[in-house]
Amino acid sequence: MNEQRRQILQMLADGKITADEAEKLLDALAREKPSPVTAKMPKYLRVEVTWEDTAGDGPGRINVRVPLKLLRAGVRLTSLLPPQALTRANAELGKAGVPIDLTLLKPQQLEELIEHLDDVSVDVDSSDGKVRVFCE
Amino acid sequence: MIPQLVTVRAGRRRFFVPVLPVVLVLAPLLLLAVLGGLIACRVYRISALGALRGLGRLLWALPGARFEIDDGQTAVRVSVR
Repeated sequence: MNEQRRQILQMLADGKITADEAEKLLDALAREKPSPVTAKMPKYLRVEVTWEDTAGDGPGRINVRVPLKLLRAGVRLTSLLPPQALTRANAELGKAGVPIDLTLLKPQQLEELIEHLDDVSVDVDSSDGKVRVFCE
Repeated sequence: MIPQLVTVRAGRRRFFVPVLPVVLVLAPLLLLAVLGGLIACRVYRISALGALRGLGRLLWALPGARFEIDDGQTAVRVSVR
């Protein structure tokens, strides 16, 4: 309990203020509280792939950093795809055994997907390599 | 902000590519490419304005992108600032 809150309750206990006044003061105190510090928003999607020396060339590493803004811009470009292209893509996906209807995928949903990408963290560890996908 | 400098490292060599001067030098070719793009938009019935806006957004979002590959003796690093 902080000091100001304790003082208000003390004043109420001493009979210096009424219960209504104490409630108003406590409400005002709650409103004055600074909002919690917002978490730092990630700006980049990072993909790191490392592998051990298998062919005698030495170990390898791929490090890709993509700004999330770039992903959003790319997603917005999908809204330009003509309907006939989406229909053909749907047909090809169907043939490949992936029955996804791309026409039902709205740009807004894709943007929401990007918005929530900051929580994504993928770690794959194997004996000869490691893959990490995360946002920073 | 549009990209200003692209750094390419291949092994021990390092190249700094200033984007604006290169774009100015390649302006005639870029103009042709834009014209070709506009014709393609017309043919495929895509909004040319929307496509230009989308490309502009992509260009604006490029700074900060980095791509690095190290494989034994070979190393290529590209970063956009």
